[in-house]
Amino acid sequence: MNGFMRNVLAMIELEMRRIRHDRTELYSRAVQPILWIAVFGPIMGSVRAIPTGGIPYTDYITPGALIQSTTFISIFYGLTIVWERESGILKKLLVAPASRYSIVIGRALASGIRAIFQALIIIPVALLVGVKFMPSIPNFSLALAIIFASSGGFAATSILIASFMKTRERFMGIGQALTMPLFFASNALYPVSMMPEIMQRIARLNPMSYVVDAVRSLMITGNLTSLSVDLTAIILFDVVMFVIASINFRRIIE
Amino acid sequence: MEYAVSTSGLTKVYEGGVKALDSVDLKVEPGKVFALLGPNGAGKTTLMRILTTQIKPTSGEAYVFGLNVVRDGAKVRQFIGYVPQEMSIWTDISGYENLLIYAKIYGIPSSKRDKLIWDVLEDMGLKEFANNLVRTYSGGMIRRLECACALLIKPKILFLDEPTIGLDPSARKAVWERLIAFRKEYDATIFFNTHYMDEADLYADEIAIVNMGRIVASGTPENLKHSLGGEILSLEVENPAYDLKALEILKETDVIIDVIVSGNEMNIVTQDAESSLPKIMEALRASKVLVKRVSITKPTLDDVFLKYAGARLETGAARISEVRQVRSMIRRG
Repeated sequence: MNGFMRNVLAMIELEMRRIRHDRTELYSRAVQPILWIAVFGPIMGSVRAIPTGGIPYTDYITPGALIQSTTFISIFYGLTIVWERESGILKKLLVAPASRYSIVIGRALASGIRAIFQALIIIPVALLVGVKFMPSIPNFSLALAIIFASSGGFAATSILIASFMKTRERFMGIGQALTMPLFFASNALYPVSMMPEIMQRIARLNPMSYVVDAVRSLMITGNLTSLSVDLTAIILFDVVMFVIASINFRRIIE
Repeated sequence: MEYAVSTSGLTKVYEGGVKALDSVDLKVEPGKVFALLGPNGAGKTTLMRILTTQIKPTSGEAYVFGLNVVRDGAKVRQFIGYVPQEMSIWTDISGYENLLIYAKIYGIPSSKRDKLIWDVLEDMGLKEFANNLVRTYSGGMIRRLECACALLIKPKILFLDEPTIGLDPSARKAVWERLIAFRKEYDATIFFNTHYMDEADLYADEIAIVNMGRIVASGTPENLKHSLGGEILSLEVENPAYDLKALEILKETDVIIDVIVSGNEMNIVTQDAESSLPKIMEALRASKVLVKRVSITKPTLDDVFLKYAGARLETGAARISEVRQVRSMIRRG
């Protein structure tokens, strides 16, 4: 096994061990998406104002609420990096024989692990609420893989922000300013076609739209016509963010 | 000879123009315990961060075991151990897990991993706490775990930035006992930063005193202390109107460097107070001088530090004119 994969796996293992010791964050972070699915969905759905292509509104927003939750976790993953910068952990990691690419990608994908666990908490709740998922194991597996990979991309974005915003306060500010626009300028709660023209353009540049669309088509609608476009967009997003975040990573300890 | 660390003209100017290092020339022989002693903000951490390949110098060269820290950074990182000043372990997993993650990052094969981890835990006295969350550890235990992480790969050189900062005396002692044992067993070089004079004095073979980005003095702790000009014997005498002929004789034999008399107090500067005391007492008795009290004051690294970094004294060996200043400093220190 080469050094790169070894380090990425070590970073993922670190995250899994952390989760094993303390799962509170997973549960508390699940509260919000569950509210979207169990409260907001049924109430808004009863109005029948949003064209969802024939599926119940709650089913329609379930992938949106799920991706919102996993994306937010990833966007705030940089806080861990800021904390590790304030302590000496990052200095020590950068003095170890590990490339910055392996550290950044490893840490970013570690956030993907958190996202998977998050999904595994939210999906059963959605089932209880009565959301009808596509009964397909390959679809589900691919959807989880997409959640894992896209969370990695968002976490890399977050690590990149952490490289510039070196204090918790500044980071929190940027994080907050980023999450809600990302959510509202996406197809998480309503189709992009309902938005004003300018918003539609933003939504098309928003990686979250492609993630929601992919997961929605795999888990709920089964209509896979746009899947290849979604996958291409997500892979492109990941690669670009991984590279930029890695190039800037050394900046964080300077 | 290949030095463990060698730098020439090493200079670091941070953005904004702060000159943290100013043309530092340093040589550390392999197998030595080397201390960089200086106040906060002297440039110690900057120097260590350059040596551990974290930041690049503005100018000058730095080598660790013959490898340039800028050009061969990746190779240097293979064989150095480093403990930063700040806490550098994950507190939400156990001590064992911290070592396991680092063992994997360092590519230690899985067949050897477990034994190595338990060995360093044993070496650092953490075996029975291995599976506790680090959050429950004391400050001293955290430091020892950090050292354990650094020792996992049996580094050729161990860089420690303020290794005992914030620890109580017994925890400091425990950390050092383990480090010294490791160094003996593996003949490793230890390079540490500190602002504790006693720590440098006790554990270092060589010390470089750094102040405002420059090395102002270096040598063994003994040499540095001797460079102050000697030890001082203070005598309280009964009858000050005595004949100093006997002392003049001693002076010629190099036992005494100088004598100052003021009233009933007599200060004698000598190379080695303990061995010259009997001869001095004999000479005084011959001159019928009654001695009521004797005290010996030895210069400490504190005095050395004040001399070279504090800018209170001129450089060069302390002459008799400076004895009073040295003494007043010693009292204050």
